[in-house]
Amino acid sequence: MRFIWISALKDLRILRHDPFSVITWIGIPLCIGLLIQVVFGGADAKPQGLLLVADRDNTIVSGLLTGSFNNDPLGKMLTVERVDLRSGRARIDRGDGSALLVIPAGLQDAFLNNRPYHLQLFTNAGQRILPKIVEETLRGMVDGAFYLQRVAGDQLRGLSGQRTPSDDDVSRRSVQANHLAQDMRQFLSPPLIELETTVVQEKKRSAGTGDFFFPNMIFMGLLLVGNGLSRDIWKERARGTLRRLAVSPSPVAAFLAGRLLMVSLMFCAVAIAAVIAAKYLAGVHVANMAAAVAWAALAGTVFYSLLLPIAVYSTDPRRADVRGNLLVFPLAMVGGCFFPFEVMPDWMARIGRWTPNGMAVVQFKDILAGSVNPAHFALVFAALAAAALLAFLYSLRGLRGEFLQ
Amino acid sequence: MIEVEQLRKSFGELNAVDGVSFTARPGEIFGLLGPNGAGKTTTIGCISGLLTPTAGHIRVMGHDVVHDGPAAREAMGVAPQEIALYEDLSAVENLSFWGGAQRLRNPLLKERIQKVLEITGLQDRAREPVKRFSGGMKRRLNLACAIVHSPKVLLLDEPTVGVDPQSRVRLLELVRSEAAGGTCILYTTHYMEEAETLCDRLAIMDHGRIIASGTLAELRSMLAERDLLRLSGVFAPSAARSAAERLEGIEVLQADEGLIVLSVAEASRKLPAIFAALAEAGADVRGTTLTQPSLESLFIRLTGKELRE
Repeated sequence: MRFIWISALKDLRILRHDPFSVITWIGIPLCIGLLIQVVFGGADAKPQGLLLVADRDNTIVSGLLTGSFNNDPLGKMLTVERVDLRSGRARIDRGDGSALLVIPAGLQDAFLNNRPYHLQLFTNAGQRILPKIVEETLRGMVDGAFYLQRVAGDQLRGLSGQRTPSDDDVSRRSVQANHLAQDMRQFLSPPLIELETTVVQEKKRSAGTGDFFFPNMIFMGLLLVGNGLSRDIWKERARGTLRRLAVSPSPVAAFLAGRLLMVSLMFCAVAIAAVIAAKYLAGVHVANMAAAVAWAALAGTVFYSLLLPIAVYSTDPRRADVRGNLLVFPLAMVGGCFFPFEVMPDWMARIGRWTPNGMAVVQFKDILAGSVNPAHFALVFAALAAAALLAFLYSLRGLRGEFLQ
Repeated sequence: MIEVEQLRKSFGELNAVDGVSFTARPGEIFGLLGPNGAGKTTTIGCISGLLTPTAGHIRVMGHDVVHDGPAAREAMGVAPQEIALYEDLSAVENLSFWGGAQRLRNPLLKERIQKVLEITGLQDRAREPVKRFSGGMKRRLNLACAIVHSPKVLLLDEPTVGVDPQSRVRLLELVRSEAAGGTCILYTTHYMEEAETLCDRLAIMDHGRIIASGTLAELRSMLAERDLLRLSGVFAPSAARSAAERLEGIEVLQADEGLIVLSVAEASRKLPAIFAALAEAGADVRGTTLTQPSLESLFIRLTGKELRE
């Protein structure tokens, strides 16, 4: 047991002599937090999209249609830019914009005179959320226009074709509108059925961009740090210290356990920096800071243990590098460390949630949100701990086998 | 004390060590001498427990290194051929780690660190990172890490490779002082002079076997006071060999187109006869080197090749 601490102390002393590495590892989550803060402007920011509009009708109705995208809350998410049809198509084809709305000539006429008409919407396949919002908003407007046409078609038609209505016309239309309102009243506000609306105070705050991206980025940082640390075993090999240790009475297992202890302390420091950055830089809601730090540190240690056999069983450091990267990057992509599960295709997200980092990310988000399911958490904890233990023992076997040929 | 009996170590078809036996006693410097690839490092690897012997027995201070490894390793100090140190750490930090690995505890550990820093002459640089040390200083620290726990048995695998003459002298003094303190030292080298001046007893290895062993005097006597005569020039090897062998008291060790090596009793007196015989055989002798009996001449006599080949 004493040698575990001696070994860990040695690694910590080496780290003390190499502050650049420590700063880099701790700096990764801080940089990510800072970038998210700069790019998205903190937790209250919404995703920003660009709606291109090619308006070939240029009437009051087409103006009302496009103007509706400038009203809140859509106006906070979408910027409307008027374009001609050709440049609009070119831009949406190269992914510049969330969607292109084409309003062919004749919209106002078709609307007022109840004639068939087609709006065209081209959406960007590279974006999932904003084009959908545009599409659903437009569907709502089209439906609304249909019912408005059904209910007040005569009145609308009466307005068409008159540029400057006379006082008589205005009086007549006002009376008609009043009658229409009286008639609709029995449907819109039936006297016998009262609707009592109560605004329920929101219990959970809405998630911001930081909540969406930052936990994933933290875990990507942990994966990368774990991968880097696992390759340090090659430094021990190259300088012959591992062989020297093997001829001492201290067991290699204690040496490796010491490294694991140092690695977990390192991950604690990284996790503290990451959670602080999440809370104060990226505006992430952190329900339990200590639990979040502990879980991130534990997950990092698990990642290190899982990646260690790759370094141990590779025949040279270059192969260890290549193999480590070949595993880490797909794991990061699929396991929700690069793209959040929410934006992945369902089949991929389902697979990703079963990866070690995927399981850890999901639990981490639950810890941040304060919505941990204890039974599920215990299961994930046990699975990750068991996998890490097996990987550790497998690495130990490889190191021992290296000497006792 | 190190006892090695019929040690054999194979890597697939290759017998790196083949039936090696020797005993090294407390206070003795036992040298393993041989060219690169002779099996010296493999022998040390088996004794230190780094390699598992294919056959044979090794005991260190009475502990079998295979079946009672930790006890055997506790009695041992090993200075490997490579400089196995943490270059980012200071000398004190390295000694503290390796002393800890040898189960030394404070305050004895601190005391021993000061002692070995003093005897290796590194106390002035004790707090500096090792990466700033010269090659000789690193070699000294490498040895210091092996003796920090006062081992009863010390395995030194070519500890002076790549070291400047001044540091070499210092290292050899250090080894002698350890032996004088009662430590049993197994010392491998391919430097003849080092082996001759340092070792109490020697074993000469080639192709995984011990081809001769004993004290320096015993080994020299194997040459029967014969000199080694090297003749360079242009020779017809078979004709030159026959001509030389016809002379009394001459043994041909090597006969090539450019070099003939002879083992000759009282060579200085026989030189004219040798030149005459070779000239008759069509040889054109251009250079002559006469060497008094030494380990090198013994090695050449036993193996037919030079040690540094």
